[in-house]
Amino acid sequence: MKDEHRRGNPQGAGAWRRFGRFAALAALIGSGAATAAVTDKMIADDATTTDDVVTVGMGQGGQRYSPLTRINTANVGDLVPAWTFSFGDEKQRGQETQPLVYNGKIFVTGSYSRIWALDARTGKRLWAYEQRLPDGIMPCCDVVNRGAALYDDLVIFATLDAKLVALRQDTGKVAWSETLGDYKAGYSNTAAPLIVDGKVITGVSGGEFGIVGRVDARDAKTGKLVWTRPTVEGHMGYLNGKENGITGKLNASWPGDMWKYGGAATWLGCTYGGDTRLIYCGTGNPAPWNSHLRPGDNLYSSSTLAINADTGKIVWSYQSTPNDGWDFDGVNEFIPFDFKRDGKTVKAGAKADRNGFFYVLDRSNGKFISASPFVTRQTWTKGIDPKTARPIEADTRPGDPAAAERGKQVFSAPSFLGGKNWMPMAYNANTGLFYVPANEWGMDIWNEPITYKKGAAYLGAGFTIHPLYEDYIGALRAMDPATGKIVWEYKNPAPLWGGVMTTAGNLVFTGTPEGYFKALDARSGKELWQFQTGSGVVGQPITWEQDGEQYVAVASGWGGAVPLWGGEVAKKIKDISQGGMLWVFKLHRTQLAAQ
Amino acid sequence: MLRLAWLFVAAWVVPALAAPPDDPLRSPAWPYMAERYFAGQTVRFDAAVRVLMPGAAEDPLAVPVYVDAGALADVREILVFADLNPITTILRYEPGELARPSIGFRFKVQQATPLRAAARTGDGVWHLGGAWLNAGGGGCTTPSQASGSGLWKDRFGEIDARLWPRADGLRRLRLQLIHPMDTGLAGGIPAFYLETLALQDSDGRTLARLQTFEPVAENPLLSFDLRGRGAVSIRGRDTQANRFAGTVAP
Repeated sequence: MKDEHRRGNPQGAGAWRRFGRFAALAALIGSGAATAAVTDKMIADDATTTDDVVTVGMGQGGQRYSPLTRINTANVGDLVPAWTFSFGDEKQRGQETQPLVYNGKIFVTGSYSRIWALDARTGKRLWAYEQRLPDGIMPCCDVVNRGAALYDDLVIFATLDAKLVALRQDTGKVAWSETLGDYKAGYSNTAAPLIVDGKVITGVSGGEFGIVGRVDARDAKTGKLVWTRPTVEGHMGYLNGKENGITGKLNASWPGDMWKYGGAATWLGCTYGGDTRLIYCGTGNPAPWNSHLRPGDNLYSSSTLAINADTGKIVWSYQSTPNDGWDFDGVNEFIPFDFKRDGKTVKAGAKADRNGFFYVLDRSNGKFISASPFVTRQTWTKGIDPKTARPIEADTRPGDPAAAERGKQVFSAPSFLGGKNWMPMAYNANTGLFYVPANEWGMDIWNEPITYKKGAAYLGAGFTIHPLYEDYIGALRAMDPATGKIVWEYKNPAPLWGGVMTTAGNLVFTGTPEGYFKALDARSGKELWQFQTGSGVVGQPITWEQDGEQYVAVASGWGGAVPLWGGEVAKKIKDISQGGMLWVFKLHRTQLAAQ
Repeated sequence: MLRLAWLFVAAWVVPALAAPPDDPLRSPAWPYMAERYFAGQTVRFDAAVRVLMPGAAEDPLAVPVYVDAGALADVREILVFADLNPITTILRYEPGELARPSIGFRFKVQQATPLRAAARTGDGVWHLGGAWLNAGGGGCTTPSQASGSGLWKDRFGEIDARLWPRADGLRRLRLQLIHPMDTGLAGGIPAFYLETLALQDSDGRTLARLQTFEPVAENPLLSFDLRGRGAVSIRGRDTQANRFAGTVAP
């Protein structure tokens, strides 16, 4: 209805005589005149430019750090809403998105594969797009979306029915759409795509359904596949339509044909190191969860993979949980950063894993540097053997059910929802600290027999989650990557499920399920400001500069895996209101005058 | 560039134009339709453009219509709209030189409304035919039947087509595409519909082009009258960039 006038506009009719018989219709179909274009350079520089946010992660490396200082520890208490936007509909579920800001527009995704373009100054809706989802979609852990990617005049996002959709930034018209997987077999996608040198990099979700994890690179302008790299050994990769070698070595770490439905979903997407030209992708749990059915390391599940951006070949890998039997995954973001050791700069990368370790690796070759716990309990391991860089397993694997209905039940911490789940941490080069949104919970877990069936859950495990402490589950922890020490922590009653952002204003921003969006002192962890958004905050905050003022934005809307899978956590979250809202903040004008 | 071209033509034409002619169907919405579709252009009511359909909609989700502008020479475009539908534009058809300016389709009707077919001839004049359709209503705001069954994704995108000769020397192409054609007006279901369809002969020549909009009925059933011989290829695209293709031999 909203486009009726534009469509009915007779300009095509007048122009037709000049452009031939079919010109009028062609013009209507191809209406995508670019007024502004996001370039590879803008994407590469996103971490340092302050007037836009063109990548999820606020830079390809995902540090989520802004050099802006107008909002700082001295004045953040005067942060007030500038405008809000309601996502509307009855589809108020988890809003795990990160907005993007470019060319006076904000692009924000929402639950149920929706995306909007808003006027960045007023919040006015410019266009809306909603993917027509089939009834049979199978997202394991809520109908979320974690953000879009910008390239050229396109905004690209992935959908719950495993499509990658590119829309014109100006009109919201679909330019191209590509299928990432068969949603009937359990494929879906919720992660933000990553742009690297004109290619759009995506993973897939569905590790609970025995899909095979994959990283794809497509021409961002056309959607045409350039290369694809499976993450489970034995599967063939392709480059420009030709075979590009199988991943790993067939049956080296998987028995029989278990690798055919081996999981290792790349469901959180990837980050990129501009200096190493490597794409870093985390991989999820091996399938099924019952590890007794797949003795061996099960490469490359629960790992970080470094993939050459041009060739689609795996350059290095590091497996954090070999033969994962707890659904620890290894999908968490690997964030490139530098630090000093013995007077030398170390080109490193860090990852806070579901299994409770904060890993620091050499980002050029994957060499192990350190692993430090960022949670209080890890029942599954006695630590990392520094010689082999492998975890020393404690005897807490759930028992083999073999032919029995159910194997021995064990208690494990962290739980399968992880010491840290999807919610991205942030790195502040000024403080030298990583800010890790952690959760303190364990689980009872047991194994059951299971066989693969297309489109059915492929777990072979049962579980229930228990908080470790009465007074808190969530803990935002500041980790020093050089020492592995926790410098400060901020405790929260409900589990933390939102992203973190940090600024040169010496601030750390994050949200809580209780509905608060908060700013903490980056050096001390002291809470400086909070705002009640009306629903749980599980989104990813951003900040940018516009018309001489600094803005901060975050989506509010409770959901994600916790209310679906949280077991005993339910009593801490049962009264949280649903929502779906983008909140945009700036300083109150009395503070602006002071500047 | 297109906009400039239009302005140029408009500046040249407008001074000669009068107010839109009186509507023989006496539609309350005619002044708005005239402004929306024909502003600055010449439009005349013309019995040469025939709209064949039942007087009342048996099924408001699929009213069969056949539009025939074959009595006019040099028809470049046929625009079909319903004055009182919440979304008025139904389709725009561009028959090429190898197609007769006639088309059959089914559409969703929300309430009793005039249905109009406007044929634009080479001289830029719009020739307007139409009739009233009585309807119980609700066709545009009811969820597609596929939404209820959940099965549409299993056959989604399938095309059934048949091509056969007619006594008048033309060939009839009838095709059906499995597509829910959601209007976006039913609660909780986003707009999702076929946008474009192109027909080509085996030499790659374009026979006709069609733009379809939300009111076209679910699983569009379309009839075209074509000249020439040999197989016809069908290519379509919907609002989510799903592509449909097929070829039908005589």
